[in-house]
Amino acid sequence: MQITFKVYRKDPEKDGKPGRSNYTVDLPDGATVLDGLLKIRDEIDSSLAFRASCLRGTCGDCMVRVNNSARLTCTAKVSAYTQKGPEISLDPLRNVPVNKDLVFDWDTFMWNKIKAVKPWLEGSETADGENIVPDAAMADLRKVMSCYQCGMCDEGCTVLPVDFNFLGPAALTKADRLAFDPRNKASREQVKIVEKPKGIWDCVHCYEADEHCPRNIEPTKRIVALRDKAFNSGISHEAVARHHASFAASVKESGWLDEGRLAVESEGLTNVKGLMKLLPTAAKALSRGKAPIPYMHAKRPDADKIKKIFEKAEQEEK
Amino acid sequence: MKYAFYPGCVSRGGCPELYPSAVKVAEKLGIELDELKSVGCTGAGVLPQNITDPINARTFAKAEQMGLPIMTICSTCQGVMAQANYRLKDDPNYRDKINREYLADEGLEYKGTTEVKHLLWVLFEDYGIERLQSLIQRPLKGLKVSPFYGCFLRRPPEAITPTKELNRRKSYLDELINILGAEMADISGKGKCCGFPILSANEENSLAMVAKHTGESKEKGADFMVTPCPLCHLNLDGNQSKAEAQTGKEIDLPILHLPQFVGLALGFDPNEMNLKRHIVSTANVESKVSMMS
Repeated sequence: MQITFKVYRKDPEKDGKPGRSNYTVDLPDGATVLDGLLKIRDEIDSSLAFRASCLRGTCGDCMVRVNNSARLTCTAKVSAYTQKGPEISLDPLRNVPVNKDLVFDWDTFMWNKIKAVKPWLEGSETADGENIVPDAAMADLRKVMSCYQCGMCDEGCTVLPVDFNFLGPAALTKADRLAFDPRNKASREQVKIVEKPKGIWDCVHCYEADEHCPRNIEPTKRIVALRDKAFNSGISHEAVARHHASFAASVKESGWLDEGRLAVESEGLTNVKGLMKLLPTAAKALSRGKAPIPYMHAKRPDADKIKKIFEKAEQEEK
Repeated sequence: MKYAFYPGCVSRGGCPELYPSAVKVAEKLGIELDELKSVGCTGAGVLPQNITDPINARTFAKAEQMGLPIMTICSTCQGVMAQANYRLKDDPNYRDKINREYLADEGLEYKGTTEVKHLLWVLFEDYGIERLQSLIQRPLKGLKVSPFYGCFLRRPPEAITPTKELNRRKSYLDELINILGAEMADISGKGKCCGFPILSANEENSLAMVAKHTGESKEKGADFMVTPCPLCHLNLDGNQSKAEAQTGKEIDLPILHLPQFVGLALGFDPNEMNLKRHIVSTANVESKVSMMS
């Protein structure tokens, strides 16, 4: 079948201006997008730059945007993208500096962020130098360890397009892999590193990353696990700690959330500047008769029973 | 047709216009609501699972005793409860542990049979679209509407179970816009996050998301956006003026709750749907609607 690839081009050694080249090639049924790229480079244009390594969907090196969605070109079948016509667009990832054509800067995209989470283990010292853990303790972790850092989760992330300095699900998944390793004696420290701004608390937990992960590692659930771990051992991010403590206190005391209280306590009751910041929104809400008044919050029936469950669960975690 | 109704805190707190609108719409449709009053907060994705799974299991056990499925009107309550329910149904040992350690004291037990459904799903899967169509008194012709789902009505997959409904559920709101006679102003971020969850950790990023979604909707010529999630509403409506200030671009897009949107098509007056309680003025929507009837 004849397929036309519309490929993003950019050559820093020429004018560096982005453009697009169209290449039409004949491909057999079952061909992948990468087969198309290799054929273009071998037969039509040897200057076309793209990455590929394992050719079997296990290294992530060949990720580009195929018809505007990130895909590994080595596993993306051409037939899946030509239902509307024999044309396929290929682009580098969004928000990342492009080196040449489809080759983008992986350091900026992911490696610098992985370095930032301190991606190594601080094992406990043992007499014989070995650190043996029971198999069951590694069961869930083994799934995370199968991450080959393809970066598809970062490509799908909702936060990165508005703030590229966010660490992103790939690096945070790496942090999870280390924080939950039973051999890590610096487990809490590992969580504190990603509690800093641009880390776990900047994640919107929208689960987009999980939809994009080709290995079903569920990066969002890993981030949520890190947050739960932080909550249970005392959140070190100041603003988030205030917010979560207030949320927990109102559920514990009344069974449900006192939103007015949450708004003021999230700013901090002694933070005059922060509280002033709430005023315009509160005034507008009041004028529409909808500002929840802090601490004027009725208990739910059975609030005492909910409190009992809450406290027991907290105790159990300690 | 009867449900154990879980309205969620925001429908009476930050968005007090939502609860009465939902109750009126349900009444008009003939959906009976038996409100779950003596149950706890879902945790909203803020509190950790080890605390909220037992509290949610208690809610499911209460609904099970009533013999009713749960109906929510909040994507966040829906998503958090559905994920907890999935864990409790999927793993009988885990359910037994929660029952033994947390619910047995009260003589409660969750057997794993409760379903949790958002009003949007109820309309399509239980109530029936033909029946809804037969009750439309004011087709919303001439109105352009953007859908905005809220993450948890689309992801993660175990919150959308049964899996056979997964794909169709991703387009219910789009379908509903057509069914109620309006025209869709589609936006690329309709299934993305509104930014609400990071409002306290990173307000700037949160507002950038508000500006992106509402701005795109406005550019597509929408009269308003409709959302089944009151937390999205809090950010998209309540913080829209802050998002305008951050980007220096006027947006001025009214955001309607799902029951208000359905209610207008069922013939309710905009006042009965409490449109005046929104932060972004709904005057244009109200005048267009009043010209229809």
